[in-house]
Amino acid sequence: MAPLKSLEPEFSAIDSHFQMFCVSLGIFTEDFLLYDLHKLTGFAEQKPNSERLKQGITQLLSVVDGLHKPWMNGMDLLEDAKQNKHILSTGCEGIDMLLGGGLREGQLTEIVGPSSSGKTQVCLQAASSVAKKHMGSVVYIDTCNSFSPQRVASFVGLVSNLPFDQGAKHKILQNVMSNILCHSVFDIFAMFGVLHQLEFKLRSQKGDNQVQLLIVDSISSLITPILGGSGLHGHALMLSVGYLLKKLAHEHNIAILVTNHTVGGEGGIPKPALGETWKSIPHVRLLLSRDRGNNICSVSIIKHSSMASGKAASFMIYG
Amino acid sequence: MPTSAKWWIDGDESAAEMLARVSAERSVSLLPPPLHRLPLRVGNVVELVGPSPSAKTLILIQAAINTILPSEWNGVHYGGLERSVMFIDLDCRFDILCLSEMLKHRIMNLNGSMNKMNQDQEDIGMQNFDTRRKSNIAYDEELYTLCMRRFLYVRCYDSFEFLSTLKTMHCHLQKEKEVKHSSIHLLMIDRKSLSLQSVFETVVQEIRKLVQVHPMLVIATKTTTFGDRNFANEAHRKYLPDTLDFRNAATNTRQLPYQENMPSVWQSFVTHRVHVRPSDHVTIVDRQNHSLYLSEWLLPSLSYLDKFIVQDGGVFLHN
Repeated sequence: MAPLKSLEPEFSAIDSHFQMFCVSLGIFTEDFLLYDLHKLTGFAEQKPNSERLKQGITQLLSVVDGLHKPWMNGMDLLEDAKQNKHILSTGCEGIDMLLGGGLREGQLTEIVGPSSSGKTQVCLQAASSVAKKHMGSVVYIDTCNSFSPQRVASFVGLVSNLPFDQGAKHKILQNVMSNILCHSVFDIFAMFGVLHQLEFKLRSQKGDNQVQLLIVDSISSLITPILGGSGLHGHALMLSVGYLLKKLAHEHNIAILVTNHTVGGEGGIPKPALGETWKSIPHVRLLLSRDRGNNICSVSIIKHSSMASGKAASFMIYG
Repeated sequence: MPTSAKWWIDGDESAAEMLARVSAERSVSLLPPPLHRLPLRVGNVVELVGPSPSAKTLILIQAAINTILPSEWNGVHYGGLERSVMFIDLDCRFDILCLSEMLKHRIMNLNGSMNKMNQDQEDIGMQNFDTRRKSNIAYDEELYTLCMRRFLYVRCYDSFEFLSTLKTMHCHLQKEKEVKHSSIHLLMIDRKSLSLQSVFETVVQEIRKLVQVHPMLVIATKTTTFGDRNFANEAHRKYLPDTLDFRNAATNTRQLPYQENMPSVWQSFVTHRVHVRPSDHVTIVDRQNHSLYLSEWLLPSLSYLDKFIVQDGGVFLHN
């Protein structure tokens, strides 16, 4: 919320008298929300220009009303879900089958797995599949130098089995590759920068070629260094990132895919990293594992917001 | 103005009159299982605690469905309260499809059982049955839409948005009352990981004022962290001792204690507390494996555990 001075041009009742009144009570910006409305009105009544002050309070309240999201009822939500929140195929049949079609826009999907279990391959395949089939753009935030354009090209080349000539194939490949934007970030503050920039861009231009998929590979390598230690700032930053991602997903109809690694848990069974607080952030959590020696990965649901957990499927990674 | 001393000593109403008035205005109702052990009335604040995942949001959805269904519709007894519910999503993870599936399931179950009863009793011919079945499905849609419209939803991404929602809720509720002639009976706050540390007092104050003007039942969820002792110890060191109220509650039948770190203003606001958690047992119902969850009333402390399972139609008790 902006300081009260900046609201003056739009709302005439919030003039300098009102601002002085607020300053006398210690209200500068958002502190207005912490104040009891009846007490405030009571204070305003005691001043000589009480009517004007009360008008100012009502106007400020209307500004506050505009700050939060509007109320929706069940039917509005359902319509929004049907019209805006499409399902994006990941390109891996096993995952698609498990998730009932693929990644859902507006949801944060997390893939957990030990190292070299195929998480990055799944991300690259999802990126190529969405960029090719759904004609939307993909934002790939790469934290561990794992983005490989050659691999994406091979995924794209694999799927198209019609006999194209070299020129057309090259054109398709160019289109697809230009739809995938890759950002390399190595610390959490750079990631915040990228996300805020993306939010600003999405809010200001609502045209064609909208971002449909956002991939963060891997989010745990950004957050693990700041967790633990002497302060709770790490937890707060982790929660902020989680909420920012969920906000981006819901308001701009983007599907978000993040990867996470595993750590040893009780009894030697590996559990997802990032702890208990992160557990309640993703909508869907999938556990990926790969048998040594072959390319068959098995994926199972750890948590899903509308399906029972424990369902499993397996698929093969080509190439 | 009556000035006699006798008028001052005579009460406004007798105890019987007051009891009759209060039971009519603030009636007692039973929530669906597993919260069914105690009758709850408007003005109570129920806190649902448990580790993640333990079906807390599903329990909230089930309570919501119970409230939005009418008690009777076209001859079928649904047993609902026919009031609106308000769901404040601080977790930003609510899936409307989950609510919609559970509602459809419930309507079809109750409708289906009614249909079967009618057919058995009256022995109708095939033609009659078809037309009746078609008209029943049409009624389902109307009933479904009506119920979905009674479900109101707001999403808040941080504590200030939550505060602004609470401040402006009074006007919105007034408008709803005028438009729909039915008031809100249930307020659900789904909060798993949002930190409200700095604004707890204001939040409690605002909810208290709201409940006074619009009598409703409040259910809030909260995640507990099992054995996350390091985190809790650090929190204790960093925060001032008067804002956090630590309680190591080791119940007498459980080995693992759970820690609660909520400010005392919130703890004195909550009137009932239920603890849910997954158990290690798996039961077989309808030839499918379901994991068993336990629920226990902590405040007031009842000495037995309820066991329940999660199925497509909702949360069901299991003995």
